[in-house]
Amino acid sequence: MKTIRHTQTLFYYDGPQVFEAEDVIGGHYVAVMVEPHDDQDCYLVTGVSPESLREFRSGLMDLRSLMAEHGETEWYLSIGSCETDKPLQLEPQSSTLIESGLLPEPGFVLHDRPAIEEALKEARGRNNLVLEISVDPPEAAYEHRVRVSTLVGLLERVQTLVKHAYGAALRELSLGSRRAIDRSDAHLLDVIIPAAPGSFRVFLEAAKAPDMLGDSELIRALERVDALFVDAHDPQAVLATVKAHRGHLAGAYLRLLRFLVENKTGLRYSWAGPNFSKAKNNAVTESETGPLVEVLSGISNLGSESVELIGALEKADVVNGAWRLSTTDGVYSGKIKDGGPSLDGLKIGSTYRFSCLEEIDEIAGTGREQRTLYLVEREPV
Amino acid sequence: MNYREPLPDGCPPQEADDITAERMVFRLVRTTPVTSQDFQSQRAEKPDRQFPGISECRARGLSVFADRHDAREKALKLPRFRGYLVCRVALQPGAGHIQQTFQPSHHTWWPPADFEILEHCEVETQ
Repeated sequence: MKTIRHTQTLFYYDGPQVFEAEDVIGGHYVAVMVEPHDDQDCYLVTGVSPESLREFRSGLMDLRSLMAEHGETEWYLSIGSCETDKPLQLEPQSSTLIESGLLPEPGFVLHDRPAIEEALKEARGRNNLVLEISVDPPEAAYEHRVRVSTLVGLLERVQTLVKHAYGAALRELSLGSRRAIDRSDAHLLDVIIPAAPGSFRVFLEAAKAPDMLGDSELIRALERVDALFVDAHDPQAVLATVKAHRGHLAGAYLRLLRFLVENKTGLRYSWAGPNFSKAKNNAVTESETGPLVEVLSGISNLGSESVELIGALEKADVVNGAWRLSTTDGVYSGKIKDGGPSLDGLKIGSTYRFSCLEEIDEIAGTGREQRTLYLVEREPV
Repeated sequence: MNYREPLPDGCPPQEADDITAERMVFRLVRTTPVTSQDFQSQRAEKPDRQFPGISECRARGLSVFADRHDAREKALKLPRFRGYLVCRVALQPGAGHIQQTFQPSHHTWWPPADFEILEHCEVETQ
């Protein structure tokens, strides 16, 4: 008789209700608990393809469709408790699965994989803030692998998101508080486990050690990131949050979502500091990314931030609309905004206040950012 | 704190939250009005069963959802819970300990002996 072993619980409620399993030759199965049989747990079991299983985990396919897809020709009942260390015996059934009345109702979709507290364990072990990120692109359906471009692009975009989240959090602090913080490189993350077993998972930790109380500056950033992901299932709620975080953080979030859409994957992450009692978990499924990108793409200037510069004009190219201003913070150059003020009549060497919009574009295929300052208003000082 | 049923040492775990402010959780129940049978732990329902992979501490807690959506749009769609109802349980300060376990919305709740669960449970019609 065919047997399977439990590999991962996907939905738990007073016991494993839905779980993944494998047979002795590595075939994939999904089991769902049905009515008990003689006071013993009873599971409906069907074989599934790795790709369909990935789609189910990603929220693209519901449980009924997943089980009906392969159960049409072959399905089983397994009676006995689900034990992780013992095989479950499968009893082949001859009737039609659809007519058995045992299938779940349509619409059972996993929002997320089960939360695993490994980020917390790592954070305590390393005495530092740890962030775990996990993706499920199509190439990861069959084995533990991910395209180089997907991994590089993901890490680049996550780091960028964290950087802008940190910047946004700092801007809300008083000048005195900002001065008291050593902000140099505080947003940086280091990869510590590049390919953890399971789905494609990467562990990162804060590049800088936490303070004496165990708190990392990155907490400010990741709390901002959480606000963007907590309502991922509700595009209108996300829209409201993103509008409240307009600027480079919102732009980085949208670029990350677009990347997830292009690479056909959701994203799950978990983070914790060494003194946390539990990790914080959030996720966006592959099925949620598309509607979010659609809603957020409709906002103009979502990723722009206002920048005010005061300094001596070094260059004013009226024909090409290019300028350069020397301020006490450094030299800035930019362009004029379409329909904005001309550079005509400005005097080289004179001091001006330039009100600009700073926009960030992604350099195609790299995930790297290119900043451009667009002049929208000017006045002599 | 005295719990509804005897718990092993170290249970609830340190990571569990002490319930100090009112919060809502959702549990599946068989009937309305609800009965104490609807709030039995796995251990209470199956005193002799082994639950491999599940700690005795969790087996003596109650499964609840923090998010109504997970109770209504997920659990109720499963064949095991066909015909079940969703009960909204108002946890008051002192209602024991609770910890997020398994999927994000799922929590394990360890109620104290003196918490009148049935009085705090309201079956939802929609």
